[in-house]
Amino acid sequence: MATTLINPLDERIPPQSVAPPRLESLEGRRVALLDISKGGGSIFLDRLSTLLKDQCGVAEVLRFRKPTFAKPAPEAVLADMRKAQPHAVIEALAD
Amino acid sequence: MPMLADGQLAPPIDGEPHDGPALLAFFKTDCPACHLALRYLDDMSRQLSGKATVVGVSQDGPDRTSELADALDLGLPVRFDTRLRASVAFGLEAVPALFLVDRAGRVAGSSQGFDKADLNRLSAALAGLSDCSAPTPARAGDGNPDFQPGCVSRHLEPESAEPDAAPVDLYARRGRRASRVQVPEGIEPEEFCYDQGFADPLPVIPPTVQRVERMLAHCGLGPEEVVAHVPPNYAPASVEKIAANAVMAGCLPEHMRILVPAVRAICDERLDIHGVQGTTHFAAPLAIVNGPVRREMQFACGSNVFSNAARSNSTIGRAVQLILRNLGGAFPGRIDMSTMGNPGRFSFVIGENEEASPWEPLSADFGVPKGRNAITFYCAEPPRPVSEHKARTAEVLLRAFCPVLANLWSHRVCKRSEALVVVGPEHAATLARSGFTKHDVVQYLFQNTGIPVREYDGDGGEGTHEASMYEECLIRGVRCYRKFRKPESIRVMVAGGPAGKFSVVIGSWATGPRGSQMVCQEFD
Repeated sequence: MATTLINPLDERIPPQSVAPPRLESLEGRRVALLDISKGGGSIFLDRLSTLLKDQCGVAEVLRFRKPTFAKPAPEAVLADMRKAQPHAVIEALAD
Repeated sequence: MPMLADGQLAPPIDGEPHDGPALLAFFKTDCPACHLALRYLDDMSRQLSGKATVVGVSQDGPDRTSELADALDLGLPVRFDTRLRASVAFGLEAVPALFLVDRAGRVAGSSQGFDKADLNRLSAALAGLSDCSAPTPARAGDGNPDFQPGCVSRHLEPESAEPDAAPVDLYARRGRRASRVQVPEGIEPEEFCYDQGFADPLPVIPPTVQRVERMLAHCGLGPEEVVAHVPPNYAPASVEKIAANAVMAGCLPEHMRILVPAVRAICDERLDIHGVQGTTHFAAPLAIVNGPVRREMQFACGSNVFSNAARSNSTIGRAVQLILRNLGGAFPGRIDMSTMGNPGRFSFVIGENEEASPWEPLSADFGVPKGRNAITFYCAEPPRPVSEHKARTAEVLLRAFCPVLANLWSHRVCKRSEALVVVGPEHAATLARSGFTKHDVVQYLFQNTGIPVREYDGDGGEGTHEASMYEECLIRGVRCYRKFRKPESIRVMVAGGPAGKFSVVIGSWATGPRGSQMVCQEFD
């Protein structure tokens, strides 16, 4: 007789999302940098900010910061980012 | 239009005026903070039934509202503001939004977002207006945050790029039944489980319908009842899913009695298993069991307490780990990217040896008295040994603990790590003979654990940049930085076998409200 099992996995189907088209150029664009509060992250992002402006012609670099790397970004941080309507977001992941 | 202030007339909802004192709760169905608030409002409504009125005001239509009410098991009466006229008239910016309306139909209090203090304040005010006693719907430390910002009110939303995307519902109380999976003829069910990604690398007991039903028969909860949502994917841990993973881990049906509170505790926001699931650090959740259940279920509390000595420790710990993988999504190499891993990721459960302890059990630190069952989770590094065979007094013995404690997290990093000190029974007896209470042990370890200032010689290593924030102290005449932020950073318990002058010290993951805090769950 065939054995029937109870599925022990997460069976939800995640919502599909499609990445927006890549920007043709960063020239004149507004780029948001999300600092997740890992040690040294702000130094890295400072340098990245300079490079984006000097080498890629980014018009404005916006900085956002999670209060702790250990937890998901609070809704308030995400809301601030959405409100700023950047053309691109770079999130500095850990380590 | 600004939000209505106290004293202003409350506009009608869907053309209907307000009848007597009522608490109106505007919500939308895809707002996590609304789901959280609705659970408390529903409890409040049940407690005040017939005495005062709590009404939900949905910004969505009856279909979506009904789905949500079913998922959250809501009995709260609901009115509809699908054309959002009332939302505009009340001047909402965010939901959930609460408005207390008095007998004259005027606003007598309001709140936006989820805030336990506001809920309690408005509950008391509603009871006052309704001449009845007030429930306290939201208590601190119940596993939910004290405050959570709301979502933008439906009438202020920009057009969604993905209107049909299903939001993660963190507060559903009922889920769907698990699907049934047929094992193809000619394939061993154990191998099938492995091939389907159900299992860790060890063989599992296939979760057949009959086995899972035996588990379910033991826990008195419906199979579709959701105990918690498992980070970081926040999949609903229904009782049926917990049971299926428990079968695979080798659990007995009676183990459901502890697995249900274990899953609830491990998903408690204060533990922040979300972060631990994806960290590169060594951390794994360690469970400590207290109370009579240790003996009833024959948990290892003595010899080999950290080893593979008892079925309850090994299988319940493995079931927790399987749930973290299969429902939380922390598969090694995908979400779980720990650099070195932790052997506790197979199973990490110990019982406290309360019989050999001169002190109150660990659970008492969290308000659960001796004699009551509790499971406590701690996001733990692997255990570090302490060996001391010659000490005759507490002071000499505890000197052996201090250098081990000083190395937790990283040698020169102070004020960041917490410690769980698991004292072996022989060491505990030495401490008791010296008259040391648990408080004395903690104070001694706090006062005498530090890193010599001379170690901070400008080489730029980890912990040296923050040295100006450390607290300097003298330990045996040596200038040191104190290792721990406060005495409460050190927890002490007793476990292990009767022979052998050994203990262990266990470091933590990121700590405090911005990281992981220990979580203790009492159960029957």
